[in-house]
Amino acid sequence: MNIVSIFIQTLVGGIGIGSLYALVALGYSMIYRSMGLVNFAHGSIYMIGTYFGIIWYRGMVMGLQVPYPIAFVMGILLTAILGLILERIFRPLAHLDLMLMLLGTIGLGYVLDNLAVIIWGAEGFAVNSPLPNEPIVIGGVALLPQMLLLITVSALLMVGLNVFLAKSKMGKAMRAAAQDRETASAMGIPVNTTNALVFAIGAGLAAAAGILAAPIVYVNPAMSAAVGLKGFAAFILGGAGSIPGAIVGGLVFGVLEAISAGFISSAYTKGIAFVVMIVVLMIKPAGIVGEVTVDKV
Amino acid sequence: MKNTASTIKWILLGVGGLVLLAYPLVAPNRYTVHIVNMAGIWILMSLGLNLAMGYCGQINLALGAFWGVGAYTAALLSTRFGVPIWINMPLGMLLAGITGALIALPMLKVRSHYLALVTIGLAETINIIMVNEIWLTEGPLGISGIPMPNLFGIPIDGAERFYYIVLVCVVVGFLVARQIVSHRIGRSFIAIRDDDTAAKAMGVNVAYYQVLANAICGVYCGVAGVLYAHMSTYISPDIFEFKNALFVLTMTMVGGMGSLAGSVVGGLALPLAQEWLRAIKSWQLVGFGLAIMIVVLFMPGGVVGLTQKIEQAGGIRLPWARKPAAEPSRMEEPNVS
Repeated sequence: MNIVSIFIQTLVGGIGIGSLYALVALGYSMIYRSMGLVNFAHGSIYMIGTYFGIIWYRGMVMGLQVPYPIAFVMGILLTAILGLILERIFRPLAHLDLMLMLLGTIGLGYVLDNLAVIIWGAEGFAVNSPLPNEPIVIGGVALLPQMLLLITVSALLMVGLNVFLAKSKMGKAMRAAAQDRETASAMGIPVNTTNALVFAIGAGLAAAAGILAAPIVYVNPAMSAAVGLKGFAAFILGGAGSIPGAIVGGLVFGVLEAISAGFISSAYTKGIAFVVMIVVLMIKPAGIVGEVTVDKV
Repeated sequence: MKNTASTIKWILLGVGGLVLLAYPLVAPNRYTVHIVNMAGIWILMSLGLNLAMGYCGQINLALGAFWGVGAYTAALLSTRFGVPIWINMPLGMLLAGITGALIALPMLKVRSHYLALVTIGLAETINIIMVNEIWLTEGPLGISGIPMPNLFGIPIDGAERFYYIVLVCVVVGFLVARQIVSHRIGRSFIAIRDDDTAAKAMGVNVAYYQVLANAICGVYCGVAGVLYAHMSTYISPDIFEFKNALFVLTMTMVGGMGSLAGSVVGGLALPLAQEWLRAIKSWQLVGFGLAIMIVVLFMPGGVVGLTQKIEQAGGIRLPWARKPAAEPSRMEEPNVS
């Protein structure tokens, strides 16, 4: 195995984990854009979403074991419904000072995390991959099928989201509501409904990411913190409120992490990624793609 | 009227002082004293955070790092070189203060939620150093066998005796914080919090005071760290993780951002509430989260803000009344194109 194939393998692994971060970051970004809410409970929504899918796949609900694709869809739908409910709770928070918003959403995250512990236990479990576990070897590069599935489905979801926002009537309404709340509602767009749908989509995307990554990572209630933080970092790194920014931020963060783990020091993976992120923010305070709004606070 | 109010104030102070001094003698058991000692440590950190965030408006989620620097300084010096607490204390304060000043540097460049992330990132990085630099910190196993202090030949060998050290630190910390707030430094902090551009126009050296606010926050957390190391005799990196920084943030906000009394109220209330809720195990943290939500939604000024509302509604002046704090700065409504 030469250095090039090791590099490609690291890169693909980074893109895989990066897609996971990107999908989570998209939720942060869409909710911020439409509601002005920095949702620190999004990591918990991701964790709950993972459980919502995996419980069907593992037959944890009345022994009812369903195939992975169906569990995937069911998980997304259930989490989207949860998103609709949570939006109603979060709505008053969106108009508060940043620190209160931060604390309020963290409080709700606490509630979700610990409900998960009460319902499913704190231990967690490994999930069998629905695809064969042997890596596919192409030219000396060994790739896990589940990783490829994660990358492919994430890419499809991201393209789908962009098409939906650009072309569909609902997507246009969402963008209009995000752009100018008052004018949009004067034009007859039900802003609260579009916000609720944006929240549901964000939650659904996080669930999709979690269910896709579940066979690679270990499923437990504590997983909300790490991915929540990295998704948040990706959201900021790309440029808060920007949809392409969230995707770029997620991928950059994933690849940075993989490269630093593979080539520098696995102990300092998280640290190196954070340091690079801080340096990027010092040079470009509005993120790589740039924030959609100019923050004047 | 004014005389009665000040008489009540002095009586309250006197009774409060006596209760504080007598507490370990009348406490039901050693564990309850330990909880109160721990509350004192939280109060110190909350005071520091309040000065930086409540007064100067600097979002800072890196408290765990400052606390850790203080604690590791004390732990390493005492276990490796047998340095006593009264030398560790100023050194821990100094190093944590320097860490605070260093962490403030990115603040001169980035703002609001970006800043929240940068401070989290820096704190995480320092935590990773604690886990990985095993030659220095013993890694995830932590440092054990930190000696309890020995002051003037009296061994401070139990929670009851340690209580008085914590008490002195909290009282001194509170009085110093009050001096800072009423001093020119405090007024500059408030000016920066309310409008940093206007403050700059008025000739306030904004960058200097931002760094100073965080350095002071670091010093307070440093004191808390040194106390913690010598009190618990054991430290490990997981104590200084982000979740405990959040706990301090929560208690500061529950007590009241921009109010020193709020830090004391929050710093006492939350750890005690946590102990009471321990009986209901897993539901404890669910209740904790719900409590945070309720505070945020229904009393955003914290407990102290609530007493202020009572005063306004009843047209009375409570003996512990404080000067009103200005409204916290709001985040701009996002306007997306």
